[in-house]
Amino acid sequence: MIFAGIDIGSTITKVVIKQEEEIRAIIIQPTGAEHRRLAHEVIKKALNNADVTFDQIDFIVATGYGRINVPFADAQVSEITCHMRGVSWLFPNVRTVIDIGGQDCKGIKVVNGKIRNFIMNDKCAAGTGRFLEVISETLGLKLEDIGEISLRSNDPAGISKTCTIFAEQEILLRLSEGVSIEDILAGLHKALAGRIYSMVGKIKIEKDVVITGGGAKNIGLCKYLEKRIGFSMLTPPEPLITGALGASIIAQEMVTKAGEEKLAHIKKERKLEAVTFFDEAD
Amino acid sequence: MFYKAGLDIGSVMAKAVIMDNDKVLSYSIMPNRGSFYNAANNVLKEALEKAGLTYDKLNIIGTTGLGASFITYPHIKNTEVACQSRGMNYLLPSVRIVIEVGDQSTRVIKVTEKGRVADCVINDRCAAGSGRILLIISKVLRVNINDLGNFSITSTNPVRFSTSCSVFAETEAISRIAEGIKKEDIIAGLHQSMAIKIYSMIQKVKIEEKCAITGGGAKDLGLVKMLQKIIGKDLLVPDEPFISGAIGAALMAAEKEVVFT
Repeated sequence: MIFAGIDIGSTITKVVIKQEEEIRAIIIQPTGAEHRRLAHEVIKKALNNADVTFDQIDFIVATGYGRINVPFADAQVSEITCHMRGVSWLFPNVRTVIDIGGQDCKGIKVVNGKIRNFIMNDKCAAGTGRFLEVISETLGLKLEDIGEISLRSNDPAGISKTCTIFAEQEILLRLSEGVSIEDILAGLHKALAGRIYSMVGKIKIEKDVVITGGGAKNIGLCKYLEKRIGFSMLTPPEPLITGALGASIIAQEMVTKAGEEKLAHIKKERKLEAVTFFDEAD
Repeated sequence: MFYKAGLDIGSVMAKAVIMDNDKVLSYSIMPNRGSFYNAANNVLKEALEKAGLTYDKLNIIGTTGLGASFITYPHIKNTEVACQSRGMNYLLPSVRIVIEVGDQSTRVIKVTEKGRVADCVINDRCAAGSGRILLIISKVLRVNINDLGNFSITSTNPVRFSTSCSVFAETEAISRIAEGIKKEDIIAGLHQSMAIKIYSMIQKVKIEEKCAITGGGAKDLGLVKMLQKIIGKDLLVPDEPFISGAIGAALMAAEKEVVFT
């Protein structure tokens, strides 16, 4: 049986096509303003890569902040649950998940494969991937590079761990004081790690800790976060897809629960056609 | 003749005034363009030229603002809050509550009759409610920052913003544009969210009869109108809201009676 998980995040959209215990296809691409057209586009790409047709998919679960805009999904599940399931599948001993997304940051406490507690920040850009985006833009560097550059520093600059807008100004101040870019970046990563640690710390960080989301790809952030936590974290081979992966696992579970008759009905009702928010006729 | 200069080197704009006793002779305002040092020199030079004076004629220089520590010539530095309250007391003596909306900072200052600070609330942790979002939105909407107010006051249905974070407000504004919502409603929505944030700061100091708004935000008619609506009081605005801090800096420096030659 074949299952699909589609995770429309604030910044990046992820699709996983899974057949039994094997991942057949992964799609990762930026999210635009038009979620419905995007959902249609990414599922087609994923089907193509996996070499299956739409009718062969038994169940589709959508997650992420754009999950209600996936017209062909059979169910919507919150990203907290999906992330937890995806991570538990990869790391069965996980106790804490730290997810650093484009516009939010989550901490999930897992006990025996169930969510015990979670904490989330989506009201303030400090402590989210957006912070990294803004600073790389301010310094004129690529987002992918800033983590590595920060590792070259021996003396991180003092940056307060609060507002992203204030950090931008602090960068300019430190630059005019003649502080090197490595030291500024190290200071920024340290501040971001401090901010994430103080938030996720509220649910008590316990081993094994898994870091996911775009933030997991930033080696500088991981280093400073590990320093604060006091032990090393685990990183999935592709940190971006845990939500979509979890969605496909939940899809599999839902099929088992639903029974064949109901499933046949769901599949008959489901259609893949391009839908948009706007009337594009004119 | 006692010539004094006041400089307010803010995070975005540098402001200078030249005063003779209690009279403002000239002033100059210019953007920092990344260098506090250059801006501080140029803005003072321009103000002196306008007043027809030279640097040697100045008896005292008072400074304030984030960039004041980069100034190399002799000066007397005071805090932004103290200078704002002194400056506003000079411009509008009856005012007891001063709201300053700067690029990064929003401050609500309770001013005594003598222009001293009685109480103040500063947004030191979060840029929500500060003027930065106005700069950001003017870029996103491709509207001149000076026209934001005119758009805002024509709105009948301001958009509700879910966060007051200046960074996320930009993203939200972009989403609203994609949904086809009108410019004026987006701008008015932002003004509303700023005004609510500022009002929550005002509530921390007890509101008084006479209130005024200064700083770059005071130039935005839309923000001023929205604040008046939310506070339920009229706000006084100085003729040139940018220079109230610089005036305060000049006055406070002279009051300290440390004269250099």
